[in-house]
Parts: sequence; structure tokens; C-alpha cells
Amino acid sequence: MRIPILKLYDCLLVSIQWELDDATALQFQEDLLHKIHQTSANGVVIDITSIDFIDSFIAKVLGDVVSMSKLMGAKVVITGIQPAVAITLIELGIVLDDVLTALDLEKGLEKLQQELGD
Amino acid sequence: MNKLIYNYIKENRSRILDTWIQNMRNKADERLIKGVSTEVFESTSDEFVEMIISRLTEKEEEFLSLLTDFAEKVVRLGWPLVFVNEGLKEFEKIVYGGLVDQGLVNQDKLLEVVGDLDSFMTPMQNEVVNMYSQIWEKTVSLQKIALQELSAPLIPVLDRITVMPLVGTIDTERAKQIMENLLNGVVNHRSEVVLIDITGVPVVDTMVAHHIIQAAEAVRLVGAHCMLCGIRPEIAQTIVNLGINLNEITTKNSLQKGIEAALEITSRQIVEMEEVE
Repeated sequence: MRIPILKLYDCLLVSIQWELDDATALQFQEDLLHKIHQTSANGVVIDITSIDFIDSFIAKVLGDVVSMSKLMGAKVVITGIQPAVAITLIELGIVLDDVLTALDLEKGLEKLQQELGD
Repeated sequence: MNKLIYNYIKENRSRILDTWIQNMRNKADERLIKGVSTEVFESTSDEFVEMIISRLTEKEEEFLSLLTDFAEKVVRLGWPLVFVNEGLKEFEKIVYGGLVDQGLVNQDKLLEVVGDLDSFMTPMQNEVVNMYSQIWEKTVSLQKIALQELSAPLIPVLDRITVMPLVGTIDTERAKQIMENLLNGVVNHRSEVVLIDITGVPVVDTMVAHHIIQAAEAVRLVGAHCMLCGIRPEIAQTIVNLGINLNEITTKNSLQKGIEAALEITSRQIVEMEEVE
């Protein structure tokens, strides 16, 4: 099952609604990069509100996606990281250093606009 | 129970009691006597011997309830377990001495009597110790619960700004709870800035700093900003001397400064009202 990527003005909007398995995650990485290339989007918001479990592989993929998007000139904001997920990430020692984060989709879009405006 | 011992204790009850109190008073250390008035000491001692004797006469349940009451009382008075234990031993000694003195025990019966006396006293000793440890455990668990309740409150002070004041030593278990409360609170209150106030944390060592850094990192992941306030001079010194890197986290010296900075982040400010005439 593929994850839908929606275009919203000059941004891309991704909402991940179910737990990712490894194959889906890699597929998503590829899809997103293609989409950024296609639409020449300036920003991406990835919303993971519905995910309450994450493993190191998925976390790595997410981090990679962010770095890759950055290389392609799109800023990424990850929104809606659940407390449990945050704790897991920290405990796994995964520091998503250069990732922008926001509480929810709304705030994420605001933040992205702000970043792009600068 | 050996009839001989039973009868002896029953008949010489008051004499045993007197000797016992006398001996125990000599044994009890200064601290114990000072804190407790003579009447209380006497009545408690009386109760103690009463309890031992009740073991002979009363049924098991009655003895147990007496024991519970007594143990609770003694713990409240702060009598050390060693002293109570000593009391039991002393009682045994007095009874044995009395039996020998009165010539009630001859050479043949000696072993049997000692065995009987021992089998009577040992379970009681166990029960007293057991009672003590139960009461202690109860106190400790109550205090633990109280501590947990006090552990990590999160206070929403202004719209989108929350404060978590920390008081007392932080250990791993507490740090975990702090992190959970912090993150859940941030999500529930939809806050943008969280201030962790460590004015009440006596010592910040590498472990505490590590936990704080982790918490700040996790807060950033859920999409809020984390600030550390209330850093006292000595804390600043320890942090630098230990070589802890807190560069990633905004730090302020007081909660007031922290709130000002938080308002700035959320693009607001406090304005003084002009007085209306």
C-alpha cells in the first residue's frame, strides 16, 4: 500500500495513517523524492499523528528522507510525533537533528510558511 | 507448652515484670529514655510483658491483634527493633533464671525446659520482627506514593506556555516519569514552550543533565521548545566543571527571565496598562 502524497500550493502534504513496514517506508522515500522533483515543491509536511510505534529502521528512513529532501531544496517539517514515539527515538539514540518539528499539522504548515518566508 | 514454665510465669508475673522493667531501663540508651516519659515507658513495658504473657493464655488471634497494636505503638514511639528484641531475650533469661533459682528445674529436665522455652520464644521473636518490617514497608510504600504524586507536575501558566517545576533529587525512575508527564502535557495543553525549572534540584550531576537533555530533545521532537530555568551559580559551576554540554538547550537564570523569553518566542509581550483616571 502506497502512502498518498498531496500537493498543496507549493508544499507537499503527507499523512501517514498506519504503521510503516520497511518496504512501504522505502517506497515512500522514493515516491516523495519523485514528487518533489515533479512539482518542484519548496516544502514538505509529514504528519505522523497516528503512529504510536516506531523502530530504528523507520526512524532512519525518516531522517534520510529529510536530508534528501533538503538536498533537493525542500524543507521538511515532521508534525504530530506522539510522546511515546519521542521517548522511543530518544532512547534509541536517534537525534533527528536538522528536522523541524511541530505539534500538529496546522502549526507545521505555519512553521513551514515562516521558514520559506525568511 | 510446658506446664512448669506456664505455671511459673503465671504465679510470678508481677515479680518478673518488675525485674524486667528494671533490667530494661538499665539497658535502654539515653536517647530512648529522654524522648519518652517514665509513665509511658512503664506502661509500654507493662504492655510488652502483658503481650508476652498473653501468648500463654490467650488464643492465637488475640495474641496477634495485641502484637499488631503493640508494634504500631512502638514504631510510633521510635523504639528501635534491637531494643524490643533485647526485651524478649531478657524476658527469656529472667524466666529461665527464676526457674533455676527456685529449684524447679533439675538436671534431667534442664534440656527439655530450655528447649520448650526456646520453642515458645523463637516464634514470638519472628513475629515481632515480621510485624516491624511490615509496618516499615507500609510506611515506605506510602511515602513512595506521596513522592510520586509530588514528582512532576506540569502547570500551564499562560496560553501555549507551560512550566514544570522540579523539586528534589532526580533518579532514573523519576526522570522517566518527568519525561512522560512533560511530553503528554505538551501535547495535551498544545504548548509551544515548556520551561523546566530546576531551582529546587539540589544537585545536577551528569546523569541528571543527561536526563534533562533527553527530555529537551524529546520535547523538540513533539514540536515544542524547551527551556531550562533556575540555574543557580553552583549548578552552573558543576555543569561546566563536569564538562556537560548544554549548548543545545536555552538556559535562563530565573523563571521570570524564562517566561519573558517564552513570550518572545510566541511573539507576545507584557504591556503595562496606563492608569485610567
